[in-house]
Amino acid sequence: MLPLSRTFVAIALLASAGCSLQPFHTQPSTTPTRPATQGGSGPVISEPPTVTSTLPAEPAIQGPAPSIPVPRERPKVAPATLSPASKALVSQAQAQRKKGDLPGASGSLDRALRIEPNNPLLWIEMGRLRMDQRNYAQAESMGRKALSMAVGDNHTQAAAWQLIADSLRARGKNPQAKEALDKANELGIQ
Amino acid sequence: MARRKRNSKSRQKLQRGFAILALLALLALIILVAVLDRRVTQQFEGRRWTLPARVYAQPLELYAGQDLSSARFAQELERLGYIPQTPVDRPGTFRRKGDSVDVYVREFRFSDETQPAQKLHVGFDGEAIAALAGSNGADVPVFRLDPLLIGSIFPIHGEDRIIVSPAEVPPLLPDALKAVEDRKFDTHHGVNPLAILRAAFVNLRAGQVEQGGSTLTQQLVKSYFLDSRRTLRRKGEEAIMAFILESRFEKADIMNAYINEIYLGQDGRRAVHGFGLASQFYFGKPLAELNLPEVALLVAIVRGPSYYDPRRHAERALERRNLVLKVLADEGVVKRPEAARAMKAPLGITDNAGRSANYFPAFLDLVRRRLREDYPEEALTETGLVVFSTLDPLLQEKAELALSDELARQDQGSRKAARGLEGSMVVTTPQTGEVVAVVGGRRASFDGFNRALDMKRPIGSLAKPMVYLAALQSGRFTPASVVMDEPIELKLESGDVWKPNNYDKKIHGPVTLVRGLTQSYNLATVNLGLDVGLGPVAKTYVQLGLDEAPPKYPSILLGTAQLSPVEVAQMYNTLANGGFRSPLRAVRAVIDEHGKALKAPELEVTEAAPTEAVYTLDRMLIEVFERGTARPARKALPPGLVVAGKTGTSNDYRDSWFAGFSGGHVIVVWMGHDDNATTGLTGTTGALQAWTHLMASISTTSFEPLMPEAVEDRWIEFYSGQETSPYCSGSAVRMPFELGTVLNPNPACPPSTTPEEAALMQPPLPVVPNEDGVTAPADGAPRTSNPP
Repeated sequence: MLPLSRTFVAIALLASAGCSLQPFHTQPSTTPTRPATQGGSGPVISEPPTVTSTLPAEPAIQGPAPSIPVPRERPKVAPATLSPASKALVSQAQAQRKKGDLPGASGSLDRALRIEPNNPLLWIEMGRLRMDQRNYAQAESMGRKALSMAVGDNHTQAAAWQLIADSLRARGKNPQAKEALDKANELGIQ
Repeated sequence: MARRKRNSKSRQKLQRGFAILALLALLALIILVAVLDRRVTQQFEGRRWTLPARVYAQPLELYAGQDLSSARFAQELERLGYIPQTPVDRPGTFRRKGDSVDVYVREFRFSDETQPAQKLHVGFDGEAIAALAGSNGADVPVFRLDPLLIGSIFPIHGEDRIIVSPAEVPPLLPDALKAVEDRKFDTHHGVNPLAILRAAFVNLRAGQVEQGGSTLTQQLVKSYFLDSRRTLRRKGEEAIMAFILESRFEKADIMNAYINEIYLGQDGRRAVHGFGLASQFYFGKPLAELNLPEVALLVAIVRGPSYYDPRRHAERALERRNLVLKVLADEGVVKRPEAARAMKAPLGITDNAGRSANYFPAFLDLVRRRLREDYPEEALTETGLVVFSTLDPLLQEKAELALSDELARQDQGSRKAARGLEGSMVVTTPQTGEVVAVVGGRRASFDGFNRALDMKRPIGSLAKPMVYLAALQSGRFTPASVVMDEPIELKLESGDVWKPNNYDKKIHGPVTLVRGLTQSYNLATVNLGLDVGLGPVAKTYVQLGLDEAPPKYPSILLGTAQLSPVEVAQMYNTLANGGFRSPLRAVRAVIDEHGKALKAPELEVTEAAPTEAVYTLDRMLIEVFERGTARPARKALPPGLVVAGKTGTSNDYRDSWFAGFSGGHVIVVWMGHDDNATTGLTGTTGALQAWTHLMASISTTSFEPLMPEAVEDRWIEFYSGQETSPYCSGSAVRMPFELGTVLNPNPACPPSTTPEEAALMQPPLPVVPNEDGVTAPADGAPRTSNPP
């Protein structure tokens, strides 16, 4: 079998099997089905033709230094959205913020977070509120939490970096703020 | 003459003496009245009942897509005292018809707004809510029910009450009180001499106290201002004060004060005062929603809360309730047929355990302690604060059940040492850091020693993740790194020699990190920890949320640090939260009696440990269920539910721990004896069983954190750590590595091996003896692994 076609078969199989590679695995159902659905080993899957066409497959995989990192393309994830329930609570929180009822707004966002704890948009919204409350360190933390939940979602990551930049600037950390802002812009352009 | 003079002189003297005496008596009386008047007026006008803080559970949030069936929703409504009836025409009622529920939600003052009473239509689609609509048919995106009242924070031997305004009192209640206790209430001036005479006559004839002649006003005075001593002087004071009260205040005010003041029952060390709390205490619903037989029962109880206790003396209480109903009919307060119908009704009290069903002392204890950090004791017990807590009542009940079932199973089991065990549980939600359930002991409703908070025990192998986290953080180790599982002797500062051993007394030689952790090898862990350094290991305890690092003894590597279940929950919560630390919260909001929001801890997150290291550690903790000490539990969990965790067993099997998490819940379980005797149980055979039971019975999500960008998945061989292909053997495991990590390829089965190639290998690969630990025995006895 030609090495090239062998690689192609492997990739095609990977693509078809997705993340639940099973053939010889003893307990397929309980394999650590990592968060694969959203951010996992998809890169290979998403663009098999590109990989086969650009990579001299043979040496890269079987050569003496097999572990040289293949620069991975993260799968692009659709920008995060809010569920109708969260959307209603975010609007309510924004209205409360406008009225100056910051504890109320915090409570409304808490409610939304209990419904969708993994939604990065809610963490960004909470971070914005902490900015209003002049709790800049927490604003930054919320931004970083959002980042960790927005892998592959450039749009949301840009918003999180923007929040982090604002929180850094508010504390006079201007060089770091600029760095964060650059990241936000870079991601925003893509 | 002289004699007469003398006579008249002495008479004059006598008269003057009398006059002075009378004057003095009058003066004394005036002073007494003035003093009493001041006291009565001041106290009564201020109307300062000491009001214990009221604590609510978290409200049930309703929204489309929520995991809730119509049957369970109906159960939740009944728990809140909602009554199933048609039509649904007043607050506190609902109707379930197939897959839809109409509910008339009560008004409730939340911390941010007062939600008015309103009708709501909830449509279900099997196990989830499909849609919510208001009474006008408009779509409602999200709605919270009024939360469950779970208790009050009252002083020891204190009074507890829920104040009600006249608008919250059913009109029947004052009418019934007057008819039964004080028919002349509307006209008398505080005292009813005729009633006193009649009572005296009846009592004299009977030779004992059968009838009280006290008016409602006198009863109020006695309860409100005086202690219970029955002396003549007290009686006098009581009469004067009743008179003062009547002359200074309206009848309606006095009636309302009576309704809020009077003693109506005892709940352990808590004295139940007022009809507002009594209604919750006996019927589990607000006073305004009581029907005729229920009101009649409360009125019946007034005469003797202990004698007519409907939970302890149901027949007596029923008899007196029906007597009250008869009087109400005789007096024309209600129509005869109505009264007759009410007499046939059962007592309708919530349970007969003598305690309200929704009593969670261990959780309340946590709330009280958290509040004490911000509020002085008097503020909590006297000023009527309203506290919104994080308790999830359904989950709490399931946690209590999971623990008690497991303890009962051990009581019946073959291990003698495991009989009569105690236990404790803490459940949190990782992202928001909320404590949703706390079980403090075998008898969850017993307000005793709170093991979840106050019991500190060695955590055994629960400490291992901290060692591996420190190793990963150092940047010198990956899951594929090999450490030596071989004997070690350490000379301690005390001069003693420490010689740790593996649980199976075997030596496994070179093992990968992922194997060392999942199979809980002591020697590998100690060697790794010493390589990384005790300082960095101890530091992880603080990173994960402990206030203080444990002392840097080598034995902390194997879990000699003594922690409480709630401390363990804090640390594992940080692991479940991707390395973000959120101080655990038990309180969401506090408002004062006027509804003003007060200080309460807000949601906080702090990036405490590098995301990549925590992510990698968490992936190894998932493997504990696939190839490690928790594997026996796998089959009892819903298929496809990804969870992670660690077993823990302390020396001589004194403590059996399990700490672990899904995507939605962190659960920590401890089992052991209070006297620290051996249990004969490991983490696997004890605590893990209760953990699994609970995890399988709740609505939760898989643990699926997003892979950090700087990390990628690769297949390695579980035993050697060599990079391999998943197709060759069952011992290939997928683990995350930082980009650019150099791994040695498995020569026989390099990563590029295809399924076809793997199939051609005849026999499939000599590899890996199916070593112990991988196939854990079905009964969960950890023959093969370490003290977990």
